[in-house]
Amino acid sequence: MKFLRLYKNDQVFKIALGIAIIVIGYIASVFYSKMQKLDDSVELIATSNQTQLELEKLLSIISNYETYLRSYIITKDEAYLKNRFLDRGEIERNFSRLNKLTAHNPIMVRDIDSLKVMFDTRFAIFRETLTVARIKNADKQALNDLLLKGTYLTNKMREHVYRTINDEAKKLKVLNESHQFELKDSMISAFLLVILSLLILLLSFNRMNSDINELQKANDELKFLNHSFNNAEKVANFGHWKLNLKTNTYIFSDNFYRLLGVEPQSFEATPENVSKFMHSEDFDYAMKVHLESLQTLEPTSVMIRYTLPNGDLKYINSVGSFMQNSKGEQVKVGVHYDLTEQYKKNIELEDNNRELQAINEELESFNNIVSHDLQEPLRKIQMFISRLEEKEGSVLSEQGKDYFAKIRAAANRMQSLMIDLVNYTRTIKGGRTFVKTNLNSLLEQILHELALNIEDKNAQVTVGNLPTIKAIPFQIEQLFINLITNSLKYSKEDVQPKIKIAAQKITETEIVHGKEMTEKRHHKIIVSDNGIGFRQEYADKIFVLFQRLETDSKYSGTGLGLAICKKIVENHNGCIAVKSKPGKGSEFSIYFPKNN
Amino acid sequence: MKLYIKYDGIMACRVILQEQLEKHEVKYQLLDLGEIEIDEEITEERFAEVQESLNRYGIFILNNQKSQLIQRIKDAIVEMVYERDKLPSTTISHYLSEKLNFSYGYIANIFSEYTFTSIENFIIIQKIERAKKLIVEEELTLTEISYKLNYSSVAHLSSQFKKVTGLTPSMFKRIIDKRRLLVNQVD
Amino acid sequence: MITHKDPIHILLADDDEDDRNFFSEALAELRMTNKVTLFKDGKELMDYLERPDIRMPHILFLDLNMPGKTGFDCLREIRTNPRFKELSIAIYSTSSAEKDIEETFVGGANIYIKKPNDFSKLKKVIKDVVNINWQFHSSGLNKETFFFSI
Repeated sequence: MKFLRLYKNDQVFKIALGIAIIVIGYIASVFYSKMQKLDDSVELIATSNQTQLELEKLLSIISNYETYLRSYIITKDEAYLKNRFLDRGEIERNFSRLNKLTAHNPIMVRDIDSLKVMFDTRFAIFRETLTVARIKNADKQALNDLLLKGTYLTNKMREHVYRTINDEAKKLKVLNESHQFELKDSMISAFLLVILSLLILLLSFNRMNSDINELQKANDELKFLNHSFNNAEKVANFGHWKLNLKTNTYIFSDNFYRLLGVEPQSFEATPENVSKFMHSEDFDYAMKVHLESLQTLEPTSVMIRYTLPNGDLKYINSVGSFMQNSKGEQVKVGVHYDLTEQYKKNIELEDNNRELQAINEELESFNNIVSHDLQEPLRKIQMFISRLEEKEGSVLSEQGKDYFAKIRAAANRMQSLMIDLVNYTRTIKGGRTFVKTNLNSLLEQILHELALNIEDKNAQVTVGNLPTIKAIPFQIEQLFINLITNSLKYSKEDVQPKIKIAAQKITETEIVHGKEMTEKRHHKIIVSDNGIGFRQEYADKIFVLFQRLETDSKYSGTGLGLAICKKIVENHNGCIAVKSKPGKGSEFSIYFPKNN
Repeated sequence: MKLYIKYDGIMACRVILQEQLEKHEVKYQLLDLGEIEIDEEITEERFAEVQESLNRYGIFILNNQKSQLIQRIKDAIVEMVYERDKLPSTTISHYLSEKLNFSYGYIANIFSEYTFTSIENFIIIQKIERAKKLIVEEELTLTEISYKLNYSSVAHLSSQFKKVTGLTPSMFKRIIDKRRLLVNQVD
Repeated sequence: MITHKDPIHILLADDDEDDRNFFSEALAELRMTNKVTLFKDGKELMDYLERPDIRMPHILFLDLNMPGKTGFDCLREIRTNPRFKELSIAIYSTSSAEKDIEETFVGGANIYIKKPNDFSKLKKVIKDVVNINWQFHSSGLNKETFFFSI
């Protein structure tokens, strides 16, 4: 793997390439010199061969001469002598050639010179022999002597030549051997050269190939990114623009144009062309901010109103910041995004809020109507009934008195209902503000408020350490007042009512109405009493509006109290539940979310 | 510049009484609370003058013996509630009969016959009055006030407070504060 | 000095005829020595009070919800007039909202009464008010802190 990394590394690769080139250069030069040597040795061999040939030729000429002479001596025919001058000329040429061939070799030069001397001597003998032979009655002994001399010299020359030739042959052998070696050597060099070249070629090709692949991949990815970006722009409904500060040219993306409701690149990318779509005051402000930013290189963000060709009004936010491009030029890049939807939603929200407020006000006036205008006639009814009962009571029959009592009871019930109804509407009113509420001080207030009731029933109310929560104080007050009043109302007749209000740790996650209550996220407060209690199966029913359990008239109630409690707790994102047992009392658990 | 006044009515009245008597050159001796011994014979005319100038200050000379006693009982109770730093540990009945030198039964009877309320009720009213005063003065906490007035707890005080006035101490305080604010605004 | 034997002059301002009738009947049954004057609206009440020749009444029962000059208007007018500083004002109203009660006390009322829905309760209320008022006057209680809610 290290090798691969090295292979990939550009630096190393370049060094390797450099080394390879040097090595190839070296081998090439070696090869060249070897070739040169080869060439030389070939030449030497050729020279040597040629020399040998010439020498042989010379000997053959001498042989020819001897043959001519003999033939003449035998036949006395002049015809055999006719070519001897030609051969003489030939010898001259031979020697000059030999001289040329052996010019480089001083030993050879000496040998050839001595050979030339011998030749000259021989030819002198030839001439002499001929002269003697031409005499009619030639001295046979003299002729024999000359012939013998001549033969002796010829042999001597032959020896000399063969010696020379041998020397040459030896030289040639050595030369041949080295020639062979040189040849082999050159072949190896050549082979190495080829292999190395091939290797380098392969590696380079490989490397280039992979580089090209990577480039291609990067290119493809870039194309893809570009494509997705363009798509993303379309989907996310934004366009972008670029300003090159150096060249002062703008580029707008395709979606930039689409945002303005025109075809992409349908006009030249200049601020002037865009300004045609903008509200004039927005344009002035935007340009001012933009030009300022070109000095300070600070990012900008402006909201501009655009009117599209089809008449639509759009709210577009333009955000731009500065960076440098690959050439190091300062560039401002920006994004245009369409805020029209959010803007419209905002307006809608505000409208909704106003509507809500109007509804709230109507609710408030409804409240007032109920609490004053409806209670008035009711009170009158109750007053007149009590008057009647007092004044005309004696005249009434038992039945009559009973009727009156029932009327009175019904009227009283109606009154309680109205009061509770007013309370209920107060709790469902929205838009109340949450403040940090210290529950302990709130309960202190409540106990003062209910002091008379508590004293009446001789009840004992204990309050533990309660947390401080973010709540709507008057609603929480109502909540506890209702619960405590209930506990007082539904107390056992002959037992001192004991009411306890305390915070409780949620040791195990509790599930209340399908929601998880944990110590981490919720406060738990319990309001428990030792009152008459009720059957657990009605635990959910009691929180329902107008539901009552106790039909015994001894326990008066409107059925709204606990419904109000539930609404209040829900307003605070909490839960309320109850555990009860007939004759044992009830324990209400209230959960408030921790946090905020 | 706004000033808040705390006043001792009883002392003020005493001073006024003395000043007035001196103005009319009546020789007198201050006896017990609500009792003066005139050292000289005084004409009906002069007596009427003195009465008139005292009436202007809300000071009345009682001419009925029984009213005098009633007044003495009231004064004794007021003194008990206001002037002591802490209410006496002995029972009220004991304290009053000791102070006024009558049996408690007699005192109670006379009182309810003439004032149409019981002594207990009167005492409660006075205590609540003092509580109101202390709340307005803002120097003590509710706990301290309940202790001073010999209530077993703050709850007891607020319960009685609500019973008598129909308001909780905090509501009461709120109203006082708002009234003060209003008065400030007017100025 | 006011004794209980002195006749007490009581005023009532209420636009509702039935309520006025209940009131005078209750007073009659209480057999307190008293003189009662009824008014059916704020204007009548103020006109009467501003007469220079009248003797100062002891207690005024004042309904809040009256047409034209409301109870609050009357309250304000009376309390800004030093001539009426001895007059105890008992607000007589149907509302039991804390806010309303507070507002009347802040406005200078001395007593707040929620209109009862029972005749005997009404009698008791009137009796209590008269009593308290008399207590207040006879025992030198502090005017600034003189308010009760019934």
